[in-house]
Amino acid sequence: MIEIIQSKHWIEWLINIAKFAFAFVPVLFILLLIPLERRGAGFIQDRQGPNRSYFRLPYFGKIRLFGWVHNASDGLKLFFKENYAPHGVNKLLFLLAPAIPFAVVLIAPAVIPWFAPMVFTFGEEVIRISGQNVNTDVGLLLLFAISALSAYGAVLAGWASKSKYSLLGGLRTTAMIISYEVCLGISIMGILLLAGSFRLDQIIAWQDAHVWGVVAQPVAFFCFLIAMIAETGRAPFDVAEGEPELVAGFHTEYGAMQFGLFYMGEYSHIGINSILVSILFFGGYSIPFVSTSTIQSNVGISLGVLAFVFVFAILAFLHLLYRYSRYLKKSSYANKSAILREYSLYKIVGWAAAALLLAAGVISIMYFKPAYTLIDGQAVYGIGVALGTAFIQILVLLAKAVFFCWVWIWIRWTLPRFRYDHVMNLGWKVILNVAIVNLVITAFIVKLIGD
Amino acid sequence: MLALIYFIILGGIAVGSALCVLLSRHPLYGAISLVVTMVSLAGIYGLLGSPFIGVVQIMVYAGAIIMLLTFVIMVLNGARDSRTPMFDRVSLFVFPAILILAALLAFALLSSGISFDPSAAKVSVELTSKNLFNVNSDGPGYYLLFEGIGLLLLSAMVAAVLMAKKNLSSKNLENNEEEI
Repeated sequence: MIEIIQSKHWIEWLINIAKFAFAFVPVLFILLLIPLERRGAGFIQDRQGPNRSYFRLPYFGKIRLFGWVHNASDGLKLFFKENYAPHGVNKLLFLLAPAIPFAVVLIAPAVIPWFAPMVFTFGEEVIRISGQNVNTDVGLLLLFAISALSAYGAVLAGWASKSKYSLLGGLRTTAMIISYEVCLGISIMGILLLAGSFRLDQIIAWQDAHVWGVVAQPVAFFCFLIAMIAETGRAPFDVAEGEPELVAGFHTEYGAMQFGLFYMGEYSHIGINSILVSILFFGGYSIPFVSTSTIQSNVGISLGVLAFVFVFAILAFLHLLYRYSRYLKKSSYANKSAILREYSLYKIVGWAAAALLLAAGVISIMYFKPAYTLIDGQAVYGIGVALGTAFIQILVLLAKAVFFCWVWIWIRWTLPRFRYDHVMNLGWKVILNVAIVNLVITAFIVKLIGD
Repeated sequence: MLALIYFIILGGIAVGSALCVLLSRHPLYGAISLVVTMVSLAGIYGLLGSPFIGVVQIMVYAGAIIMLLTFVIMVLNGARDSRTPMFDRVSLFVFPAILILAALLAFALLSSGISFDPSAAKVSVELTSKNLFNVNSDGPGYYLLFEGIGLLLLSAMVAAVLMAKKNLSSKNLENNEEEI
């Protein structure tokens, strides 16, 4: 035991343990995704969406946080509802089934690299830390293998409920998963051939050195995106829980937090999948034309630019608020004074945050000048630079992932849903063949160009 | 030491759930126990320094084959089987056979004196692929077996499609006759 503890420096242990927190990032995506989904659906369907709940502050009145409070209270309601199992269900499997998809989303992100491998000097020692929790050769395969297991949740739920709708939903989930897993696997083979590795960090390194995967493999990108959406079982591919046909599919008989677990599993799965799309086809944590070493040597300026980007986003948000306030003042809504009072809080917070970030950015640009030591002809910086770089890269990755979350929602509320046989035809007769042709052509080109 | 503890835990789960496959009366419970066996076997492969085989084990067996198995069980509406007796006269031959086989295996393994060092057996994916697809004439020639198995699977698939097709066409014919 002692040898294992002594094999690493204490700071290495500390960062490695802190990295475990990343396992919860896809689960935390739920906090963002559920309001985004419900308000986004409202936005696409030209209505308000859920934004009625509020909490009260002394001067500002009702604070609704753009519907976030409403969704949080919906979640809270699910937590405190009674767990209920209908008569005749298979108790053990009925209780076990919702845990499976949720457990899977905690394990699957273990191989996702959140930042480029860190190298920094700490005291006398040079410390290297990889960007993912599980640093293994099989990377992407491990992620796929574990996510494939999440279908068992749906299957067991469908069977244990002892209801015809649930059983049909479970059956359809199995069929969907089997057909689209094949497409998923084959569509990414092209990019794997190009990068020559299953490791996600090496795939990102290849994209950093050459071009983004979406440029090198546009066909594969679309196959992958469609297969991904189908695999999460959302509309337009929601045959497993098609509301017009199967009530709610495999989770018809579930209520309260048991349903909530399925729901959270699905949304975290979307989170993982959007992170995966941004890693495989959009360069992951890398920024185009800016390499990791450039960020490291100009870490102060990079952090400053990051702060300015945030300031810009906040200013855009404030602009939106001011425009809407002007519109409200002219209108004849009965509750306009309450809304304006609520907005005054957002304006104060927004200006304060903008000023703080601006100051932080300027200070960072002016005073954050990293010192480095040369090791093997490469500049190695201190721990501050390494953590700053990692912070920037995590934010870049998450920004790309959030954009793809929006793509998911966008597609769901725009396209009409497919019929079951259409989904199967699309999977087996179109996407699979296109993906195979793409793979063969890519293999030829890779062989011709040579490694 | 740590590897040994992991191995004992995983081995216990694997053997226990494999016993569950044999002893459970419901086919679906059997299938689920089989999934647990496969996943713990994958863990053992990973422990032995070949994570690639382990992951493929989860992907192919747990993710695809047993998924198909549960699909079939659910389609056929498999139910608890309480008519077939757990033990009958055949068991009289089977149990001694199993015991003798286990004893022989244990004797062979113990007498060969295998010493296993997991840190020495770290096999990367690159090494696996280079060994498998070594097309040199003095190489191991695994790629020939690989291609052969690919061909075999392809022919099996074609045969399955043909058999399914035949049934489909005959059904269509019947339907047509009814319509006429």
